[in-house]
Amino acid sequence: MLDLLHKIEREISGDPEEVSEAERLAALESRRSFLRMLQALALVVVLLLFFSSERLVRWVNGFEVGPVQDAIVSVSTDWHSLMADAGFTAAAETVRAELDELHGADWSELRRRIERERARTRDGVRLLRGAVPDAKS
Amino acid sequence: MLFPTIEFGIFFLVVFAASWAVRGMPEVRKLFLLGASYFFYGWWDWRFLGLLFLSTLINYLAGLALEKTERVGLRKFVVGVAVVAGLSILGFFKYYGFFLASLSVLLESAGLSRDLPFMQVILPVGISFFTFQGISYVVDVYRGHVKAERSLTNVMLYISFFPQLVAGPIVRAADFLPQLHHPVRLTRAHIGVGVVLILSGLLKKMFVANYLATELVDPVFFDPTAVGALDLLIGIYGYAIQIYCDFSGYSDIAIGVAALLGYRFLENFDQPYRASSLQDFWRRWHISLSTWLRDYLYVPLGGNRHGEVKTYRNLFLTMFLGGIWHGAAWTFVFWGAFHGSMLAVERYARRQIEFFAPAETAPGGLMTALGNGAQHLVGVVWTFHLVCFAWIFFRADSFATAGSYLAGLVRWGEASQYVTPFLVWLIFIAMIFQFTPRHLGRWLAKGVQHLPSPLLGLLLGGGIWLIWAIAPEGVAPFIYFQF
Repeated sequence: MLDLLHKIEREISGDPEEVSEAERLAALESRRSFLRMLQALALVVVLLLFFSSERLVRWVNGFEVGPVQDAIVSVSTDWHSLMADAGFTAAAETVRAELDELHGADWSELRRRIERERARTRDGVRLLRGAVPDAKS
Repeated sequence: MLFPTIEFGIFFLVVFAASWAVRGMPEVRKLFLLGASYFFYGWWDWRFLGLLFLSTLINYLAGLALEKTERVGLRKFVVGVAVVAGLSILGFFKYYGFFLASLSVLLESAGLSRDLPFMQVILPVGISFFTFQGISYVVDVYRGHVKAERSLTNVMLYISFFPQLVAGPIVRAADFLPQLHHPVRLTRAHIGVGVVLILSGLLKKMFVANYLATELVDPVFFDPTAVGALDLLIGIYGYAIQIYCDFSGYSDIAIGVAALLGYRFLENFDQPYRASSLQDFWRRWHISLSTWLRDYLYVPLGGNRHGEVKTYRNLFLTMFLGGIWHGAAWTFVFWGAFHGSMLAVERYARRQIEFFAPAETAPGGLMTALGNGAQHLVGVVWTFHLVCFAWIFFRADSFATAGSYLAGLVRWGEASQYVTPFLVWLIFIAMIFQFTPRHLGRWLAKGVQHLPSPLLGLLLGGGIWLIWAIAPEGVAPFIYFQF
């Protein structure tokens, strides 16, 4: 994958006039890419503030005790409550619950699940056979 | 300041925005990145900033001295002094306690107990990495691979650049310094590569490595006598995946962050567990260290230029010293010596096979292809298990623990305590990624690089959100920080 970057370095070499033109275009591209990435990073911050506010609270709770820190903790906690009330944190909780189910499953639970899936497949096959008449008959 | 933390996220946002804002003033940008790198290092322990500067200054002055003199003897003297100075600093901080403890045991066993000057020496984070980078600079100048830098800022930035400072990859002077002399660029490709590597690194470290460490590897290595063979066997497979995801995850993030700042590092891992021989493994695992050891140790020792016996000796010595580089413990020494010995044995075996059964040059039929495929598969399985065997010593805190671990691998009657479907699934999925097409990352990066900024933000933000949602609580330090 890193050859993608090496290729770019090789592009800027050769005739001085071509090089200066290449450098001008490169500077232009750098500016565009920087703005593009900056916008993307700003969106990342907003997304995480809205959907991962719990992480923010956990982070600020690790701060030392002090008037400024206490104020930050208070604002973060309020913000998290606001996000939770608005339902923004529900998606993370759902994903977490799904993972916890997978994470907590033991081998007997896995066997039961496999059996359940097999039974469901068998039922599905029976249903399909009954619903779709054999073309040869 | 660990990579997968909010502190680092904020730090990176500031560095990214400010460094590109001053891109029109290259010297200011370099000074800013240097300041940011020293801030990053000082965040760990500000007391070692002086040590980092001293190590850099020695190498910088040695570079200048090398440029000023043509006399071969003097040049050798200068490079020797710089290398010895660097290794002495490393030796004191990393091996002082180990040396005295070993000496004390030796004296006691000989009935000559003495009061030795033990000291509590704190290991500066990343010292092995920045020492090796300093040596790389001086030796590259000596060999003429790179010109001596007149700018102290450039040498300081090369050695302390924050993405690689504390746990590599070990960047070569000849690869990095020329980049400081060209206008820095940020292209779509840099963004594509950066975003893909940062996300893959976070996933590997925060999800795979952290789960395997806390729920499988740490408990089974804590007391191998308390668990059965199944736990121990899956535990070592788990550790193989954990250390890969931990270290390659760090490297991925480091390379990705550097790419977003406009710099290119070389690849550090290349699906190592698909290697079909140990030689192949070392071309894929911690590539920056293995190539460093090859170029600055194996080749100067004579490499394979002085006959078979000396080649075996050189292979052994290189890996033996590579083992010591990893840590001040006899288990690391054994790990390096084992790899060195097995590389020598492998080379000998290959020579014998080539002599007695030379490979067919004519295109073979289906049976030949099947035979080669089976041979390759056997090679992959054999190499993986050799590497896993050595990992036991790498991970164990003592030979006694490693011995208990190996002895426990015959206790098949006991029920498993730690092996769950989730952990087996994690190991299995991670192993599958060792065998995916080599250019999977490249394809992903090419796909990402053309995304408009809102989609790019959604991808990166959504990726981080998902990783945070599924990762266990807390962030364990990266394994390679201790080296």
